[in-house]
Amino acid sequence: MKVKYAILEKQDLYRWVEYLKIKARLYAPKKKENLFVFGPVKNADEICLDYIPTILPPKKYYFPQKEKLLEFSIKPFKSEKAIKEFEEYILFGVHTCDIAGIQCLDVVFREYPEDPNYLNRKEKMTIIGIECFKYCDKYANCTSMGNNVPRGGYDLMMVDLGQNFIIHINSEKGERLVVELDYIKEAKPQDLAKLENFRNEKKKMFREELNAPLPEVYKAFSEYESFHSEVWNDVGRRCVACGNCTAVCPTCYCFDIVDELELTLNDGLRYRIWNYCQMDDFAKVATGEDFRKGRNSRQRHRYYRKFKYPVDKYNRYFCIGCGRCSRTCMADIILIETVDSIVDPANAQNYKGLIKNMPEVCQITQDTGACDDR
Amino acid sequence: MIDKAILLEKMKTSPYKPMKARIIEAKMVTENEKFFKIELEGKINLSHEPGQFVMVSIFGFGEAPISVCSSPTDKGFFDLTVRNVGMLTNALHKLNEGDIVGIRGPFGRGFPVDNMFGYDIVIVAGGLGIVPLRSLIRYIMHNRNDFGDVQILLGCRTPREFLFKEETKEWMRRTEIKFKCTVDRADPDWKGNVGLVTSLIPGVDINPVKTYAVVVGPPVMYKFVILKLLEKAIPDHQIIVSLERRMRCGLGKCGHCQIEGIYVCQSGPVFNYAQLKDFRGECHEGECYEKKI
Amino acid sequence: MKKRSKPKVAFFDFTDCEGCQLQITNMGDTLLELTELFDIVNFREIMSEKSDDYDIAVVEGSISTDNDIKRIKGIRERAKILVAFGSCATIAGVNGIKNRAPLELARQRVYGDKADTVNTIKAMPLDEVVKVDYYILNCPPYVPEIIAVFKSILIGKPYPLPNYAVCVECKMNENVCRYEKDEECMGPVTRAGCNSWCINNGNRCYACRGLVENPAADGAKDIFLKYGFKAEDILKHFTLYNDPQGEKKYDREFK
Repeated sequence: MKVKYAILEKQDLYRWVEYLKIKARLYAPKKKENLFVFGPVKNADEICLDYIPTILPPKKYYFPQKEKLLEFSIKPFKSEKAIKEFEEYILFGVHTCDIAGIQCLDVVFREYPEDPNYLNRKEKMTIIGIECFKYCDKYANCTSMGNNVPRGGYDLMMVDLGQNFIIHINSEKGERLVVELDYIKEAKPQDLAKLENFRNEKKKMFREELNAPLPEVYKAFSEYESFHSEVWNDVGRRCVACGNCTAVCPTCYCFDIVDELELTLNDGLRYRIWNYCQMDDFAKVATGEDFRKGRNSRQRHRYYRKFKYPVDKYNRYFCIGCGRCSRTCMADIILIETVDSIVDPANAQNYKGLIKNMPEVCQITQDTGACDDR
Repeated sequence: MIDKAILLEKMKTSPYKPMKARIIEAKMVTENEKFFKIELEGKINLSHEPGQFVMVSIFGFGEAPISVCSSPTDKGFFDLTVRNVGMLTNALHKLNEGDIVGIRGPFGRGFPVDNMFGYDIVIVAGGLGIVPLRSLIRYIMHNRNDFGDVQILLGCRTPREFLFKEETKEWMRRTEIKFKCTVDRADPDWKGNVGLVTSLIPGVDINPVKTYAVVVGPPVMYKFVILKLLEKAIPDHQIIVSLERRMRCGLGKCGHCQIEGIYVCQSGPVFNYAQLKDFRGECHEGECYEKKI
Repeated sequence: MKKRSKPKVAFFDFTDCEGCQLQITNMGDTLLELTELFDIVNFREIMSEKSDDYDIAVVEGSISTDNDIKRIKGIRERAKILVAFGSCATIAGVNGIKNRAPLELARQRVYGDKADTVNTIKAMPLDEVVKVDYYILNCPPYVPEIIAVFKSILIGKPYPLPNYAVCVECKMNENVCRYEKDEECMGPVTRAGCNSWCINNGNRCYACRGLVENPAADGAKDIFLKYGFKAEDILKHFTLYNDPQGEKKYDREFK
């Protein structure tokens, strides 16, 4: 690679977006009522690069809500892969936390036995990230998880430097999308200096959101007492098992498998559908035995699947710090509070469903029109 | 071993695609359990370990995990014994000789037969637990001189629920294995033991360091049986259990069968008691004698 | 190849608005495809012929008179398969509101001075009187679910009702949560299966599918209160469709 950093002037952004649209199907964050969602881009001005995490993470593109696995017929008995061709697509404007989420699922689905559907989709994916320079809101814990800054996993990473974007080129796939365009130029030393400056400023603003550093969190989750902590009963009492926290989590990947017949009653499709450990019947077997009874133990399971089990198995935290689970929870089960309370039960007293006072943060949660300014 | 390579390749390239398999024998064995002999297309061997399971598919209905109850030493076919409890097993019960099902697998880790060579074996089965254990028993009988003393203890709720009646008669006749059975509730024709399967354990002569105990049954049974086995001083890692969990994918992905960080479909369903103790509370209250709350 | 004989389907209604049957007529081409698979022998809304010879009875409406009991028992005897169709038939639906007042008072309110001449009993879903084989929930039923249930019937497969909340499907559809906009919604405690039909179209969830088996009344109450709803409003939300489920935990919580 010749160029490692490139510069895109802001007035050329839409031009570039149009160019990307020709290259592959383009998905980007867009406004939906007072929130944001990833969606296909029709017009470049739909894109909001100044956004808080979308309702669903971009997970829906590489691990869709309902995905065909098999095409089958009963007579004659026959089955084959339901999707033969996967299309090229670009995820545009992905936050660094969501990129960390993609890395987590990579580890899971690459582990033997590999999941061909996921890997096929992943192969067709190009990721163009955008680095945040302000906090999304009080729910985010990206700094504690180490995901507030880019750590690989993308093809291009954009940083908004004010008048222009500086783009970090991280792969050949990404490079092909910027070279040969006369309006995207190699970054000059002063651009890189400016980036350095931005990063330094950012360090001052982004502070660890959890009370304890990660190794201590892991240690706490490993202790016997934590597993039987009163915190889980409190969380379980408030939880309504709506499953929102797991639906919106970029690193939740549980699924169920169902068959659907066509009206011929002979041909059909076997799907996998998102399924959540928060559901009442998730661990229930045919004989009626439920191996994970109670909303308290199901919530505990969710937290352990972020802070304990994957660390043991993959040496990787499966919480990426996007804050979606807390943001979406009607019952105010806040991840930062729960984790702090597990680390030090004394914290549980201070919280009781009230988010602690976070440092003053830039917010675009409420309709500030941040998006419309662009 | 070529068959195994074929199956592994299939698992790698299309893990969700079931193999075509034909039912070559089907018969009701109790009021609620049906026995199936199944042949994979091309008569390839399932090449499973005793204690592994397969995912059985009926298109339109779905899939369910079922333990294989024949030994890998039974060549050219494999056996399943299925209780009619859910949607898939209900549909399976309606099938007969000549019908086609889909098979994925084998999945999971079976009984550690290689480690058990040269040891005495005590098999404790409760109810339907005899189904996966039959794969082990047949394996042992086919490789009888690899093992020391073999004792089978079988418990059922009522005499009518006994599975594999012909085979158990055979086990009773044979001299190289000891077989005892008991029922919770007798009927007028029953002449054998009455009581829980745990009541058979104290009477068993065991050299603990040279014994593997293999226990399979309903979740509530484990802690009582394990307690009795521990009283006999059998080391934790020589007490083997097989756990039932909900399984959807068999590939360690879908999450339904998870016990804490462990995917039962990949790391189980067979565990030893030392592993079981490590689950800090996510196993069923009946499954772990030393479980603390 | 000989075509297998088609099962005969009959539609019946009890105390209801017949809107569920209207949903069948709204199916358009799909209805024509379905009639390839079975014959309709009884359907007041679309045909004048009648027959007492049927395999599958699809029954709309709640049981609310002594005569209804007799009639539904007769239908049950003749049918091999009985399908409860719509909220009134499956959970008693809005008819169940009647049960909140003493029966006598309800009779007086509705029929005034003719009250004595009218027979009425508490409003009940079908399964309080007869065995029901399949349930098609919703008010009115959701067409894809109607088709799915019919397919299940035809291949002899049970149709298990989802035991999770509407939120599950609503999130998959990536709707903005109504609570996000400070608007009420019964989604968190209502049985899914409708693909969050109402919320997708800007409406709220009215719990017309009945509650999940184990509704988290405690948590749901906290949520309602947090968003500024009063206890009596919450009870109204819970009982609009679900009064006959009143013995559930939520009733103790809110009364």
